[in-house]
Amino acid sequence: MSDLKIPTELVAPIFNPASYADRAKMEKMLAHLRHNYPLSIAEVPGYDPHWIVTKYKDVREITRQDNIFHSGDRSKTPASQIAEQMMRDYSGGKPHIFRTLVHMDPPDHTAHRDLVKENFMPQNIAALETSIREMARRHVDHMASLGTTCDFAGDIAMNYPLEVVCTLIGLPKEDHAIMLRLTQWFLSYADPDLCRPGSVLTDPEEQIKTWQIVYDEFKRYYGSVIKDRQACPRHDLASTIANGKIHGCPMDERSMISYFVIASTAGHDTTAATIANSMWTLATQPGLLARLKAEPALIPNFVEEAIRWTSPAMCFIRSAAEDYELSGRQIKKGDLLYISYLSANRDEEMFDTPYEFRLDRTPNRHIGFGYGAHICVGQHLARLEMRLLWEELIPRLESVEMAGEGKWQESEFVCGPKFVPIRFKMN
Amino acid sequence: MNAPVYRKWQCIACGEIFDEALGSPADGIPPGTRLEDLPDDWLCPNCGALKASFILMED
Repeated sequence: MSDLKIPTELVAPIFNPASYADRAKMEKMLAHLRHNYPLSIAEVPGYDPHWIVTKYKDVREITRQDNIFHSGDRSKTPASQIAEQMMRDYSGGKPHIFRTLVHMDPPDHTAHRDLVKENFMPQNIAALETSIREMARRHVDHMASLGTTCDFAGDIAMNYPLEVVCTLIGLPKEDHAIMLRLTQWFLSYADPDLCRPGSVLTDPEEQIKTWQIVYDEFKRYYGSVIKDRQACPRHDLASTIANGKIHGCPMDERSMISYFVIASTAGHDTTAATIANSMWTLATQPGLLARLKAEPALIPNFVEEAIRWTSPAMCFIRSAAEDYELSGRQIKKGDLLYISYLSANRDEEMFDTPYEFRLDRTPNRHIGFGYGAHICVGQHLARLEMRLLWEELIPRLESVEMAGEGKWQESEFVCGPKFVPIRFKMN
Repeated sequence: MNAPVYRKWQCIACGEIFDEALGSPADGIPPGTRLEDLPDDWLCPNCGALKASFILMED
């Protein structure tokens, strides 16, 4: 049995957003934890103790038992003691500023998820293929118009899934940039290139200040959308949410605004991260582009492996609602657990050669979309978006290489490349 | 002799489809395996929902 407590200097980076910008170092640290402290405790000053869960089997065992490992009782992302107290002050004693699907447990989670679940079933998502392919084609045309170099992250990856999800919600094109900006303020609050202007990144209260501002901005924006769709429903996601009933009653305001927040942020940011990293991979792995051009039937495998490879959601926090024995450890009621999806998707006990990007990984049972009842509701949309983009782009992409150094975001929660400079030829 | 009629089942939690005709050979489930012949503790390979979470898909 490994040590119960992880040396603080070893594990502290896991709580620091800046650490995630050095992807290689982060992966090395997680591998060390997985091999030497597979389910052990981090006691980092300023934070409550957390079990650090790095093994695939442990992550799955926890995340499929929502009745035991709650999502709604504590912050869902790593939060300092100061940040948690600020969230409670702001939200009237609740542990979250937002109240999205991510922050709920059954039966609330089930009732709220049911509102949109049918829209996101694969057979209903498939009906969107023609319109999404047209969007993909336009973004590929745009890339071709840029000449021979671009920042693929900023020029293509961030904008295409943004357009898809904003169109599904029913937002006008001129407002898409607002959604991107608020998403970056929210999910990349600590990244100096993407954070809210005026943020003081050295201030331990900055994260919560920014989230309060983001919540209020979304509330201001969606207030008029909600009124409009309640008065005159259309065939869009905004109408479904604005008129949504939970157990026969209208949603409370915080839940409704939060529903729009998660659709407007998580609905594109993780896909953008995966698309950006897919291109980075194409530009650096010899032979990958040629193989996909020769065998386009492998594009779905490419998408699936890119999700595992990127694992854009780094982590979620759960809290134990009762005592539980997990892999020989005694988890006590109230304990916090840091769930590392990135580590689980590199677990050698689950994946052969996990540090190789392989098109022949079948089945690819990664948990990049999560696992259990909280599995990403938009997973089938994300897969479709990515498949269509690569089906449109790869036949036209003759060559690609990095034209400079790529950069990862400084983000401990959703994390992807923020800068992917490439040199390319297209037909 | 008529060919066997296989059905498709869908996980109501995540949308995963289990096609009896195809099975899931990579998971050790050969083509032609009926849902009812899978063990009771079989879980949705995508999200971990119980076998009972799979409902029959309409054509």
